[in-house]
Amino acid sequence: MAKKAAAPGVKKFNPSKLLLILGLGVLLCGEAYFGYRLHTLSNQQEQLKEDYSNLNNITFGLFSVEQWRDKVADIVNHQVKHFTMSPKQKQELQVEVQQIILALIDKAEALVNKKPKTLGGKIKKLAVKTFVNTDKIKAQVPEFAKTIIAKIDNPHNKTKLSTLALGKFKQAQQSGSLDSTITANDSVTQKMYAKYNVSTPDGFNNKLTASLAEIRAATYDYSFAMLGCVVVVLLLWWLFRKRVELHATLFIMSLLFAFILLAIGLTASMIEVDARIKSLDFVLLGEHVVFKNQVLFFQSKSILDVVKVLVRQPQLDSILVGILILVFSILFPVMKLSSTGIHLLSKRKIAENRFIKYFAFQSGKWSMADVIVIAILMTYIGLNGLLESQLANLNVKSDYLTIITTNNTALQPGYIIFISFVLYGLVLSTILKNITPYDSH
Amino acid sequence: MPASKINQQQPAGRKFGLPHILLTLGLGILLCGEAYCGYRLHALSSQRKQLKEDYSTINNITFGVFSVDQWRDKIAVIVNGQVHDFKITPEQKKALQAEVEQALHGLVHKTITTINKPQTTFAGKLKKFAFNKFVDTDQVQALVPSFARTIINKVNSPASKKRLKDIATGKINQLKKETYDSTATASDTVTKYMYHKYHVSTAKQFDQQINSQIASIRTTSFDHLFAMLGSILIVLGIWWLLRNQYHLKATLYVMSLLFAFVLITVGITTSIIEVDARIKTVNFALLGQKVTFENQVLFFQSKSVSGIVLTLLHQPKADAVLVGILILVFIILFPVLRLVFTGVHILAGKEFAENKVVKYFAFQSGKWSMADVMIVGVLMTYIGLNGILESQLSNLNIHNSFLTTITENNSSLQAGYYVFVAFVLYSLILTTIIKKITPYVTRGAFNK
Repeated sequence: MAKKAAAPGVKKFNPSKLLLILGLGVLLCGEAYFGYRLHTLSNQQEQLKEDYSNLNNITFGLFSVEQWRDKVADIVNHQVKHFTMSPKQKQELQVEVQQIILALIDKAEALVNKKPKTLGGKIKKLAVKTFVNTDKIKAQVPEFAKTIIAKIDNPHNKTKLSTLALGKFKQAQQSGSLDSTITANDSVTQKMYAKYNVSTPDGFNNKLTASLAEIRAATYDYSFAMLGCVVVVLLLWWLFRKRVELHATLFIMSLLFAFILLAIGLTASMIEVDARIKSLDFVLLGEHVVFKNQVLFFQSKSILDVVKVLVRQPQLDSILVGILILVFSILFPVMKLSSTGIHLLSKRKIAENRFIKYFAFQSGKWSMADVIVIAILMTYIGLNGLLESQLANLNVKSDYLTIITTNNTALQPGYIIFISFVLYGLVLSTILKNITPYDSH
Repeated sequence: MPASKINQQQPAGRKFGLPHILLTLGLGILLCGEAYCGYRLHALSSQRKQLKEDYSTINNITFGVFSVDQWRDKIAVIVNGQVHDFKITPEQKKALQAEVEQALHGLVHKTITTINKPQTTFAGKLKKFAFNKFVDTDQVQALVPSFARTIINKVNSPASKKRLKDIATGKINQLKKETYDSTATASDTVTKYMYHKYHVSTAKQFDQQINSQIASIRTTSFDHLFAMLGSILIVLGIWWLLRNQYHLKATLYVMSLLFAFVLITVGITTSIIEVDARIKTVNFALLGQKVTFENQVLFFQSKSVSGIVLTLLHQPKADAVLVGILILVFIILFPVLRLVFTGVHILAGKEFAENKVVKYFAFQSGKWSMADVMIVGVLMTYIGLNGILESQLSNLNIHNSFLTTITENNSSLQAGYYVFVAFVLYSLILTTIIKKITPYVTRGAFNK
């Protein structure tokens, strides 16, 4: 009965239909605008994250010569200034010095005591013998040694030594290879700072974090607006469930909404992967060395980006998976939407084609495969807190341990949009089953 | 629709005779066997997960390559060894001699210039005169080498060497005390806890214990997996044997459903993928000595379907929770409901069986039950994850004269995945069977 009422309805144009098309057209433009904004925001976000991870990257922190230079300077300073010897060490060193001085005195004495041949030599020997008392000198040796060691150990000399060492150290810094890395890093940093109008690393991080939060809120607003449009369309279906003549028009318009959802769902970022070394905190030769938030990886990826990553892997099986995701996320949905349109609009023979019918009614759920893949990836990669939870169980504080964390990995609006597309598609095919003039099995 | 068949089946399905009892009993025993194997499989899988988690915790990279304490201990041993074995080679002796000579020459020269400075006091003048008279500076300078040799010989004497080494070692130990991070206490607590848990006392014993347990779990869990699959095959064999016994089909179907429920219960609670990325060895030479770190676990994760759902549901963010709910509904709830309603459809009276909801779930809900999609999705995730891990790890593989690192990716599909696959195939067969044996019209109600 639906068939008879709907078939002439397509041909005839009545005002309520025109109104429906106009109204839905406006809504469609609204959805497209929200989608476009979402898409730009998501690109912007990707850019910001890349910049953020570039500047907070481990190569600018833990692996940066510049960072270590300052820390090593502190260590040298500390070590030289606070160079202390335990009493035992001092005593041993003193014994050592004494031994050397005694050996020297013995040697000198032996030299003088050698039988002199010349008259001058004889007089010299006599003079030394009468004036110099070697035993007395030997008795003074411990005192000498003590003075020497005290001289080395005194604060004034230590400061002098530390300036000397630091001078040497600064000289070493000027060598070519160090300079080139530092200038390379500097130019990158300066460019970034200029781009975001900031001057300090903290300022940069704060600014980027703030604008990322802003963008995040905005993308959520836009994605909810998009979902709102879709909900309005579904409400219209419910409202017009009795108006059989409007169903074909409404369905075609609904398909257009689905296409926009799909386009945005594929290109907007859907997962944010964030892997970093939370903190690196230790004492090195008496100096506290701290590196915080060393970013290993911080990126947003859309489905298409995930496909790109997988296809670029060298292994054949990863490429295959990439292609499968592509098939489930683009080929199947597009075929499905087109097939539903064809099924509804074309002649019975084409409409009842097995191929068209499979895609129109059964293929929808396979797009869920992508949703599942991302969800599992998320739970495996993103929410990895094995070590931390184990340590928490044992009441061990993990704040100062060097741990790779991926806890900030999160789902992004693109994912919600894609899921909505899949569900919306499934609902549409159920609707189609109810309104189709032909056999749907 | 073959109406005659329907009429024959109708009364037969209601009667419960001896063959029914026998069938129920036999299948009941088999079901208990399957359930037991499933239970064991589940227990073994969680035991394996526990073992591997413990192993990963204790061998985590945080307590290895990332631990400053570890580096300090390794380097301290090397430096102490260097000090202990320190010997002055003839060349070094020569160089030292030259150095000392130079210093002494400088000293002599300085003394002479101080004395030769124009003197103002009488005593000074007298001293200068006496010095110039008696001391021949050239002769003194000529004596320098022999004095230098005396000094070096003295320093190089065994007693002196021992003293100097003691001083150096003392200083190194002092520096060692000034270098530390917070891994020591954490590592200690973890190690103590784990050793106590597994009743071992050394790292080697711990590794052996864990590895032997994992190996034994592996073989037994495969046995149980095959036993489960075998019991499913037996059920399907019985279907084939009884293909002409129409009156037994309702009983057989309901029993078969119970087998399917056992399969899905085990399938969703047993882990599906195990991801294990580690650096097998890091090897490099420092001051001529080998430094080695072994089995550094970068990443370990093992999860079941229910584990994935629970993880998502426990997230603070709404979108993750939503995804968790979707997976729960489409992958667990719908497939189960679908089977339950086919059971209801075949057991209940005509009125109830023809109920719209029952029929929708039993025959039309295939689109919404996504256990089969899950199978494909998990496989895709596994291969994709494996590929990404392999390529990331291969970036860490370094082979040159200073440094050798070997990475290892031990990710694998686990028993839960195979059980889940078995469930999907089995339920596919069951839904095909139900369409054949149902006494009522199964579809076309909407259009015809």
